[in-house]
Amino acid sequence: MGILLFITVLLIAACGLIYELVAGTLASYLLGDSVLQFSTIIGCYLFAMGIGSALSRYIDRGLAYRFVWIELLLGVVGGFSSALLFLAFAYSQGFQFLMYALVIVIGVLVGLEIPLLMRIIRDRYHFRDVVAHVLTFDYLGALGASLLFPILLVPHLGLVRSAMLFGILNAAVALWSTFIFANQMARTAVLRTFCVIVIAALCTGLAQAKRITQAAEDNIYADEIIFARDTHYQHIVLTRFKDDIRLFLNSHLQFSSRDEYRYHEALIHPGLSAIAAPRRVLVLGGGDGLAVREILKYPQVESVTLVDLDPEMTRLFSTNAMLTGLNQKSFLSPKVHVINGDAFPWVDSNTDSFDFIVIDFPDPTNYSLGKLYTTTFYKAVARHLSEQGLMVVQSTSPMFARDSYWCIAETIKQSGMLTYPYHVYVPSFGEWGFVLAGHHEYKPPTTFPAGLRFVDVKGLSAMFQFPPDMAPLSMAPNRLNDQVLVHLYDQDWKDISH
Amino acid sequence: MKSEPRIAGGFVNDSFQQGHMLRDRAAFPAPKRVEKTKVVIVGGGIAGLSAAWRLQKRGFHDFVLLEMCDQAGGNSRWGENEITAYPWAAHYVPVPGRKAVFVRELFEDLGVLKDGKWEERYLCFTPQERLFLYGRWQEGIEPAVGLKQRDRDQFRRLEEEIHAYRGTGKFTVPMDVGFTEESADLDRISFADWLRERWMDSNILNWYMNYCCRDDYGATTDQTSAWAGIQYFASREPDEKGPLTWPEGNGWIVRRLLERVGGFVRTGQLVHRIVQGRSGVNVFSGDARYDADFVIFAAPTFLAPYLIEGMAPLRSFEYSPWLTANLTLDRIPANYGADPTWDSVFMDSPTLGYVDATHQTLRTHIERTVWTFYWALVDGSPSQNRRLLLSKDWGYWKEAILHDLERVHPDIRQCVSRIDIMRMGHAMARPTVGSIFSPERRSMKEMRGRILFANSDLSGFSIFEEAQYRGVVAAEHALRRLSGSRATG
Repeated sequence: MGILLFITVLLIAACGLIYELVAGTLASYLLGDSVLQFSTIIGCYLFAMGIGSALSRYIDRGLAYRFVWIELLLGVVGGFSSALLFLAFAYSQGFQFLMYALVIVIGVLVGLEIPLLMRIIRDRYHFRDVVAHVLTFDYLGALGASLLFPILLVPHLGLVRSAMLFGILNAAVALWSTFIFANQMARTAVLRTFCVIVIAALCTGLAQAKRITQAAEDNIYADEIIFARDTHYQHIVLTRFKDDIRLFLNSHLQFSSRDEYRYHEALIHPGLSAIAAPRRVLVLGGGDGLAVREILKYPQVESVTLVDLDPEMTRLFSTNAMLTGLNQKSFLSPKVHVINGDAFPWVDSNTDSFDFIVIDFPDPTNYSLGKLYTTTFYKAVARHLSEQGLMVVQSTSPMFARDSYWCIAETIKQSGMLTYPYHVYVPSFGEWGFVLAGHHEYKPPTTFPAGLRFVDVKGLSAMFQFPPDMAPLSMAPNRLNDQVLVHLYDQDWKDISH
Repeated sequence: MKSEPRIAGGFVNDSFQQGHMLRDRAAFPAPKRVEKTKVVIVGGGIAGLSAAWRLQKRGFHDFVLLEMCDQAGGNSRWGENEITAYPWAAHYVPVPGRKAVFVRELFEDLGVLKDGKWEERYLCFTPQERLFLYGRWQEGIEPAVGLKQRDRDQFRRLEEEIHAYRGTGKFTVPMDVGFTEESADLDRISFADWLRERWMDSNILNWYMNYCCRDDYGATTDQTSAWAGIQYFASREPDEKGPLTWPEGNGWIVRRLLERVGGFVRTGQLVHRIVQGRSGVNVFSGDARYDADFVIFAAPTFLAPYLIEGMAPLRSFEYSPWLTANLTLDRIPANYGADPTWDSVFMDSPTLGYVDATHQTLRTHIERTVWTFYWALVDGSPSQNRRLLLSKDWGYWKEAILHDLERVHPDIRQCVSRIDIMRMGHAMARPTVGSIFSPERRSMKEMRGRILFANSDLSGFSIFEEAQYRGVVAAEHALRRLSGSRATG
């Protein structure tokens, strides 16, 4: 009996500390600056425990009964805290608020535990033994938890499942307390039923949580993974190292927040600034909203239509505070219309006309994506260009995939447009290429919107110069029925990785 | 037993009931009404529809087309579900060469050929074909991996022979253009014997030759005339980029033709009697009698003796029984790393593999699809196989199909939710030894009477271009004779 009691103390101490560590680690992952996160979370937590201890004096009856309820509540709130925080981070602006609220609730409940327990068992032992034993096991539990957490739990279970596992322990403590203190409480049957329900819910969560944490176990990403999701269409991963946020789609880097402005300014401004009064803009791909951010720098633009396959992607970049910080809430602008659909059929069936069309798809790594780099596709897109319209195509690297780059340029030319290839240097990508195209001669712009960090009038002409190692190659166009580009691309990247 | 999802489906488009009524000379009601029209086209497959297309294009409108089934199209019929349209049989047309004048004209009409260029969205997207052999996929159907020197030599020698035949200009599409008595010797031996005479005995080469004959002719090389075997390879350019295809296969062409001539087409009209007189032809169908100057008989020719009064039985027309199935896949099976491909064939399978109906789509993301599975029953005699087709229930064929696919896609049962099966007792004419140059066939091509035969089986084998050619030629012939009779009368 005695040892069971003190194991209970050990377990509840461990649970409390685990929830605190989970919150601190999660905040460091997601928000960076771990010193600040851990300090504020430990501070809040200890303070909340003090509140809990203070509140314990107002509980005078049914101590054991209430103790069980507190354990159960802790199991639920603590157990689901990590999963809840991950979801909140992905889909809401209120991550920090929720995090501190959870820390305070857990702290208050943990603060109630030990005083109540000491009062429950005070008649069984001398007072000095109660204090000595309870506090000894309390600190032992804390030591165990703090060692288990970094060595076993985080590497093998991940944050979501660790919290759930300890939630289950909390609920288990509640369940066996109904047996240990059976003579000190009424309605044990009801309590036990609730305990079983909570344990079952947490076990289900534990089984499902694998999907959330699976990606975090991939070790291909150099930095901390702060978000990972298998959507219907692709595998989205966000990583963060200090202030550098990177987006990977199916393991391919899409941008690094440190230098994406170079890519997106170069994608948009050489073309869009060359159009006298651009009113309607179409973006194909670009579900991160960063190209749209650049487009919205033109007050004349009245509407931006963005067609991206993946609703999860555009939703993520419309709701997540960190990501809307990057795209300056571009998707929330009333000018922007997001259409989640397959770009090729949309382009083929829609009849609207646009002054500027941005084609920003992932590289042609397979035959499906390769369809979006064919003569048939560019012909279909060209029908949407207004009289003065221009289109720009993200065209992979003229340096690392030189054949592919010039194949894309040739494909656009063969679809009946004048082409103006150019390139820029983006540190996280290397030398990167684009192709501007239209039915008329391109006249380089003489002004750009204020506040650009990379594109300017002086540097513009250099972008259109290709040094000998990236100079034009004569390539066959990419057609739906041969897709030479997919083979070229494959070969190009094989050549540099061996 | 491992639990597996329930697979729905059944037999569809069965037409043997009507066929057996004709065969058994069932009693049909006497006609209640008489319709006068200059031309009656019997049969709404590619030959019949092409005849209608030609008549209408020439400004001639005094005709009707009678189709036995509820849907026109014949071997080019198609189906559609919530995922995609899909073919029931013929699913492509090789890029037509210069000599296929009528096909090129049709494709210009349909916007498939523009200013001498083929519309890219109708050319089969890449990757086109793959073969499963030795537990893996290879691109293309002609075996290219695991060949020994001997195999390579034989493939090369065959290629040289074919190249020489191609150079003679005697093997053409349509076949009539290059048809000459000089090739008659090739029709006297089987393709298998022809290969044997040339010491082409490589197993892998023979597998491929057999596959080609089963695919285009529904016959093995033993059952195929050497002329037809050579025609298969020598009539086409080796470097053509194609074929032309659509999600619903050649059903797309049928749809476009119906947009133009649908007003002349009457479906669900079983013609049960045709009587040829001195001044015209009477066609009996349902409760009507059509009094016509000419009949274009575009239905399968084997039906003719059962319909045409006084016609002698045919001797040189043999047909292959086929089975096709459309499988609805709620998810895409694992592919062993190969990209989803249009046509997938399995080495050493009795079947012909399957074609993916969503391959020819502009979409980049496919979650569900329909596969059209092809199976020409070639082992044993056609009549035995027709009995087999009719005697076995849907569950038997479903299992046979899944069994075949399972070797290549072990997870197929978890992916398929529906299998609809179409049984065709007389799917296509077989170019058997002696059939191509048979006097019977050649006399029927001459169109002497008022019944003008137009089915592709007059060529000896069933391909789109032959059907279209025969339909157009019969229409031209009818127009010529009609204007001639008007001029003289």
